[in-house]
Amino acid sequence: MTEVQNKSQLRVAGPACAHCGLEVPQSLLRGGAEQQFCCSGCEQVYGILHDWGLDGYYDVVNRHGGLGNPAAVSGRKFHEFDDPVFQDGQVESTARGMHTTALYLEGVHCAACVWLVEELPSVLEGVASVRLNLASGVAQVEWDPTKVALSSIAHALDSIGYTPHVRRQGAVERVRRSEDKSLLIKIGVATVCAMNIMFIQGALYAGEHQGMESRFEQFFRWLSLALAIPVVLYSARPFFRAAWSGLVRRIPHMDLPIAIALGGAFGYSAYATFTGDGPVYFDSLSALVALLLGARYVQARAQRAALERANHIKSVAFVEYARRLDSLGISFEVPVRTLAIGNRVEVRSGELIPVDGLVVDGHSSVDNAVLTGEPNAVAVAEGDRVHAGATNLGAKIVVEVEAAGENTRVGGLLALVDEAMSRRAPIVQLADRISRIFVVSVLGLAVVAGVIAFVRTDGDVSGTLQQVVALLVVTCPCALGLATPVALTVALSKAASAGIFVKNPEAFELCRTIDTVYLDKTGTLTEGAATVTKWRGDESVRQFAFALESHSAHPVAQAFRRSLVQPVRPTFSVVDVVEVAGRGISGVVDGHRIAVGNAELMDLLGVHVPTERHTDIVELTALGLSPLLVANGDEVVAVAGIGDRLRPEAGATLEAFARAGIAVHILSGDHVDVVLRVATELGIPHERAHGGMTPEAKHEIVAAACKDGKGRVMMVGDGVNDAAALALADIGVAVHGGAGASIVAADVVLTRPGLSSLLDLLIGGRRVLGVIHRNLGFSLLYNIIGASLAIAGLVGPLLAAVLMPVSSLTVILSSVVGHTFVRPKKIAARLGGA
Amino acid sequence: MEVVFVLLPLALAVAGIMLALFIWAVRSGQFDDLETPPFRILFDDVHKTRGSNRSQNEASPLADAASNVKD
Repeated sequence: MTEVQNKSQLRVAGPACAHCGLEVPQSLLRGGAEQQFCCSGCEQVYGILHDWGLDGYYDVVNRHGGLGNPAAVSGRKFHEFDDPVFQDGQVESTARGMHTTALYLEGVHCAACVWLVEELPSVLEGVASVRLNLASGVAQVEWDPTKVALSSIAHALDSIGYTPHVRRQGAVERVRRSEDKSLLIKIGVATVCAMNIMFIQGALYAGEHQGMESRFEQFFRWLSLALAIPVVLYSARPFFRAAWSGLVRRIPHMDLPIAIALGGAFGYSAYATFTGDGPVYFDSLSALVALLLGARYVQARAQRAALERANHIKSVAFVEYARRLDSLGISFEVPVRTLAIGNRVEVRSGELIPVDGLVVDGHSSVDNAVLTGEPNAVAVAEGDRVHAGATNLGAKIVVEVEAAGENTRVGGLLALVDEAMSRRAPIVQLADRISRIFVVSVLGLAVVAGVIAFVRTDGDVSGTLQQVVALLVVTCPCALGLATPVALTVALSKAASAGIFVKNPEAFELCRTIDTVYLDKTGTLTEGAATVTKWRGDESVRQFAFALESHSAHPVAQAFRRSLVQPVRPTFSVVDVVEVAGRGISGVVDGHRIAVGNAELMDLLGVHVPTERHTDIVELTALGLSPLLVANGDEVVAVAGIGDRLRPEAGATLEAFARAGIAVHILSGDHVDVVLRVATELGIPHERAHGGMTPEAKHEIVAAACKDGKGRVMMVGDGVNDAAALALADIGVAVHGGAGASIVAADVVLTRPGLSSLLDLLIGGRRVLGVIHRNLGFSLLYNIIGASLAIAGLVGPLLAAVLMPVSSLTVILSSVVGHTFVRPKKIAARLGGA
Repeated sequence: MEVVFVLLPLALAVAGIMLALFIWAVRSGQFDDLETPPFRILFDDVHKTRGSNRSQNEASPLADAASNVKD
C-alpha cells in the first residue's frame, strides 16, 4: 500500500497504521495481517472507506500531507439531530425542498478530509452537497429531507472519523457575516477610489512643476472630489459613527482624531475645489480610509477565528444529548432540553452524565473532578445521586432525571458565570487613552499653527486655513490607528499556532500588570486522573501487575493503564483471573501467582505482608497516595502508590512565576490536607493554599483579590467549579481539556496539554505590549515631525501624501517582525498536515 | 490633450465595473473561505480513479457502513 511509503517521513520505527500512519503499538500488532491499525477508530474508518470505494482518500493524504491523526469514532446514532426542537433555528429550507445546516466536524485536519467529506453525496443518497471549510472545520450540508435524515448524515460523518456537532450561534453568525461583507465592500470602494484619485493627483503634482492648463487642473480636481465623496460618505462611516458614540458617552475613542482629520481635510478640500484655489488632500484621506479599514478587517477576521475556535471546543465539551429510555427500555438519543423530571436516561461508560438525578440501575464509579475538584472516582450504585457534568467511568448506569438543563447544579454555576461576566468593567485600551491626549494636543497645535500662520501672512485667512488643514492631515493618527490592531492581529495568529487561543485580546494588555495567579489543583496543577505515581519494592513484578490489571475495568486498573509507558508484552498468559469487589484482583500471569489489591485481599488470600512493606504503606499514605499491595506467590513484594500526579512542568512553571514576582495561590475544591501537601511539594506557602473551596468560595476569593486593586489577577482552571472565578478574574485561563463552562468563562483557552503555555502567554503578552508601545512610539514620532513641519509652513499635499503611508508601513513592519509567541516545532506542524 | 475629458471618465467607468464585480463576489460569498478552494481544485483527478473503483461497491454503501459500525 502506498501509505506505508510515508513511514520514513514520519520516522516510525515499527509498522505504520494503515489509516493514519502512526506507529502501531506492540500489543495491537496482528501477525499475518496486510494492514495494521493503531486503534479501533482507524481500523473502522479504513474498512468503511474501502467499502464505500473512497480509497482515493489515501491518494490525497499522500499528496497533500495529513498523516499522523488517528481517527476517532463516537459510534453514536445522533437521533437527537432529527428532533424538531433540536433543529429549530439551525436548519434552513432552501428552494427545491432541500434543507441546509452547518455542522462543526471534529477531527478535520487536512486537505484529504475536505475531499472525503465532500464525497459524501456520492455514497449517501439524498445528500445534495457538502462544502467543508478547512480552516474552521465547519461543513455546510444540503440534503433532501424526504430521502435521508440528518441523523443518518451525522452518523455517516461520525463513522468516517468526523464527529459532527451542531453549531449553536446561527443568528450571531449571520450578523457577523453580513458585517464582514459590508466592511469588505467598504474597503473595496475606498481602495478603488483611492487608487484612481492617486493617479489623478499624480497628474496634478506633475502639473504643479511643469505647468498645467487651468481647465485640465479644474477637471482633475472636480473628478477627485467626485471620487472622494463615496469614500467619506460611505466607506468612512464606521469612523464617524464610533467617534460620535464615543463623544456621546464621553469615552475617548481612537476614531475621534481620525474623524476630525478626515472631516477637516475633506471639508477644506471640497471648499478649495469649489473656489478653485488652495491645495486638495483627497488622495491622502481616501488612502487613509482604505488602509485603516483594511487593518480593521484583518483584525476582526483573526479575532473571530480565535473566538470561533473557542466556540467549537465548547461545543465538543458540552453534552447536549441524552439517551432517554422509553417504557420498553430502548434508548433513544434526545436533546437534553426535551427531558422531563422522572425520565430515565442511560449513561454509558466514558460518557458525561447529562442530568442531575438518582441512579436507578447499575453500579459504576463517577469522576466528579470538574465539578468538585475531588480527583478520586466515587463509587455509585442504585439510590445514589449523580450530577450533570460528571463522567461515568465504569459500567452503564440508568439515571432518573431530577433536573435537566438550567436547573442542574452545573446550570446554576453557569448562571453565576454569566453574572460575573456582565459585572466586568471594560478596560479602556491604551490607544484610546492616548487618543484623548492626542485630540487635545492636535487641536491645541492647530490653534498655535493658525495663529502663527495668521501673523506671518498678515491676516490672510485662506492661507491660515491652509496651514491648519495641512497640520490636521499630517498629524492624522493613521499609524496610531494601525499600531494596536496590526500588532494584536499578528499576535493572535502567532498565539493560536502556539496553542493559545485568546478570546479576549485585552488579555494581552493585562498580562504585564498581573501580580497574583490563582491556580486550580485537580486537572490544572495535576493531571486530574489517578495514575501509579510511586512504586516501592520489587520492580520485576511491575509488568505482571500491569498485565493482570489490563483484565479489569476498575478505576484502579485504569490508573495502571494510564501510567503505562510502553505496552505490556502480549506474550504474557493471564489465566484464573478473580476480581474481588472492593478488594482487588488476582490471577496467574506467566506462571506467577500475582495479586494486586488492599490489605483485606492479602488477608483473604493468606499472603504475608513483610514489615518493610508496612513502612512503605505508611510512607505512601503520608504522601497522600492510596497504597496498593502487589503480591507474588505468598508474599507481598511491592507497594504501588496510586494518586493524582502533579504535571511534570508544574514546578518549573510556578518557579518562573515566582521569579517574575507573581504571587501564586492554589484554589481547590479538594480536601485541605491534599492541597497543603501539593503546596509543600511545589514550594507554595501554606497560607496561599486554599483547600475545600466551593465554586462560590473561589468566586469570592477572586472577587476580593480583584477589588483590592493592587495588581491584576489571573485565574487558571479547568472545571465547572472554576468557571465563575475564571469569568471574574482579569485574565481567566482555561487549560487544555477543560469543561465546557470553563471554556465559556475564560478569556484565554489553552489548546495544548500542560502548564508551560501559561508562561508563553505571560511572556508573549508582555512582548505584544512591547510591540504596541514601539508602534505607538513610531507613529507619535512621525506625528511630531509632521506637526513641526506643518507649523513651519512646509507641508503641502505631496509631503502629506508621502508621510502618511511611510508611517503606516513602519508600524506594520514593526508588528510583523516582533517576536511575540514562538511557533511550535516544525515537526508538529508537518504532522498536522496542510 | 482634450482627449482626457473622454478617456478619464472611461477609465473610471472600467474601474466602476471592476468594483461592481468585486461587490458581487463579496455578496455571493467568494471571500468566505480562503483556505479550502486551493485544495479543492486538486481533487479532480482523484475523482476519476475512484469512479471505476466504486462500480463494484455500488450495491448498498450505507448497509455496508451500518454493518461496519460497532455499537
